[in-house]
Amino acid sequence: MTYYTAEVQRISKVVYANQRQVDAVIAVKKYIDRHYEGTLSLDHLSKTHFVSKYHLLRLFKKYYGQSPKQYTLSKKIEKARELLKAGGSVTETCFAVGFESMGSFSVLFKNRIGMNPITYRKRQLSRSSGAR
Amino acid sequence: MRVRIVSIFVSDQEAALRFYTETLGFVKKLDIPLEGGNRWLTLVSKEEQDGPEVLLEPAPNHFEPARVYQSELFKAGIPFTQFNVENVQQEYDRLVNLGVVFSMKPTDVGTSKLAVFDDTCGNHIQLVEVL
Repeated sequence: MTYYTAEVQRISKVVYANQRQVDAVIAVKKYIDRHYEGTLSLDHLSKTHFVSKYHLLRLFKKYYGQSPKQYTLSKKIEKARELLKAGGSVTETCFAVGFESMGSFSVLFKNRIGMNPITYRKRQLSRSSGAR
Repeated sequence: MRVRIVSIFVSDQEAALRFYTETLGFVKKLDIPLEGGNRWLTLVSKEEQDGPEVLLEPAPNHFEPARVYQSELFKAGIPFTQFNVENVQQEYDRLVNLGVVFSMKPTDVGTSKLAVFDDTCGNHIQLVEVL
């Protein structure tokens, strides 16, 4: 066993001592990965894992470093980038990833990516066509 | 300020270029000759060709503290850096088939799955799947 492997095991025993909690938050993340375009509800997850919704939210942040809401937003923006790169329209993309309005989509996208979705799409398409 | 580069020390830039492109699947981005046979050599992920670049740095050949640092990390099994993958088990199976040697098989560590392999250029490299 290397020094590194031993350290990973030692740290894991401290940080991830509660496997039930780890399993619960992994289930939340996988649920978000499958349903981020729609409306999310953690009710059935909190029932399945026998923890309150509030506790589940707190645990998610503890292990993943961001709230489920922040993680969901990241997934939407990541998917939006893919769709825009592939040539999808800004309007279609906005609603396909589950934003409720073009305004909120534009502002959040610009905040995260540094440019609005229209500009991003133009740049990606001109790159792939070789035009500069 | 933007984050653009991730450095990896390599003992042989050409050998590293072959391993990182042919075995790992990275794509060469920049290859600019410098002095003394050294190159500014960067790679990008095939899936993110406009994303951050991996810089293959020949520092251990030119700066003793860099050689010592790389060597000590390697002896301790400590990865020089890590890359994210969608599925560590699949990547492990693919790389083992290509002759890559792993010091840590796919292992669940809390909310991640990790594996560690030898890049044949003086480093252990970690693969991470966020569960």
